[in-house]
Amino acid sequence: MADATLRLDALDEEGRAALRRLIVTLADSKRLMGIRYSDWLLGAPSIETGIAAASMAQDEWGHARLLYAMLKDLDLDPLVLEHDRAAAEYASIGALDEPFPDWAAVVAAMVVVDGALSAMLRSFAGGSYEAARGRVPKMLAEEEFHGSLAAAWYRRLASAAEEARTLLAKATQAMLPPALAWLGAADAPAEAMVEAGVVAPAGARLERFRSDVGALLAEAGVDVAAVRPATDWDASRGRTEGAPDEEAVERARGDRNRALFVE
Amino acid sequence: MREILYDVFARKNRGDALAHIGYVDAIDDEIARVYAWKTYDEEHWFEMCIVPRSAIIPVNRQEGLFARGRGRG
Repeated sequence: MADATLRLDALDEEGRAALRRLIVTLADSKRLMGIRYSDWLLGAPSIETGIAAASMAQDEWGHARLLYAMLKDLDLDPLVLEHDRAAAEYASIGALDEPFPDWAAVVAAMVVVDGALSAMLRSFAGGSYEAARGRVPKMLAEEEFHGSLAAAWYRRLASAAEEARTLLAKATQAMLPPALAWLGAADAPAEAMVEAGVVAPAGARLERFRSDVGALLAEAGVDVAAVRPATDWDASRGRTEGAPDEEAVERARGDRNRALFVE
Repeated sequence: MREILYDVFARKNRGDALAHIGYVDAIDDEIARVYAWKTYDEEHWFEMCIVPRSAIIPVNRQEGLFARGRGRG
């Protein structure tokens, strides 16, 4: 844990923009992750799996809400970011841009994308930003169950029939580059957050993630050390190029319920 | 994939008796842990545990809910 507490009033404009970018990438990714889990409330391999997906979707949206609320510290209105942005402004990890085509992709995302998010959150919780120190540990405690489910299902599919294993490996290989690019971002805003003690250095974050998931991914024949981060980096949003599909963003914004918002 | 039947027990407070609150079907212990926690999340449980039904040995009622052989796996 960082010794000093970040003084927000001492952050310059670049520092504030960097913290905003970090928080929005986390919050948007959590929101999109929740939507992707929610697609599997029905159609998951069993009723219990569907219930777990429903619960995880709710967890992710709860985490997103807590993360968006941190933006108040930067004098930003979370409601505007939650409900009034176009898809092209979303900063969620690129691996969440499209719905998952099959259960193997859901499982791969649980390990790769949810895993990368938890890796960044662990770093955030141990850093100098007081709101993260206070709020993120509860998220990580809830994520412990996501991680358990992810690892168990990943092992199960990796040792299943060739078709399941192939789908799992393919989804994993596709999701890793954008996730690694985000987790290992080392551009100026990312480095500003390291300098301020908000998160650990990019190399340490990546090393921890690769160490956490390496053995598991190897069971599907994926060598995480050999996968290179995506290079189509969009520094303004802190993610790779592209955007979530319009339908998911409409759900994320709550377009159909605008008249009913109770905030 | 073959599933195993697990019974779920929980208590709300330290000192309470563990109560049977339901069951889940899962393909292994680790997945069953998560299913139980996520399915029976209506309370803030102090403790929850799961037991494969096949491990429960009936004492006085051989044909009851926990009769031998009712749990798969």
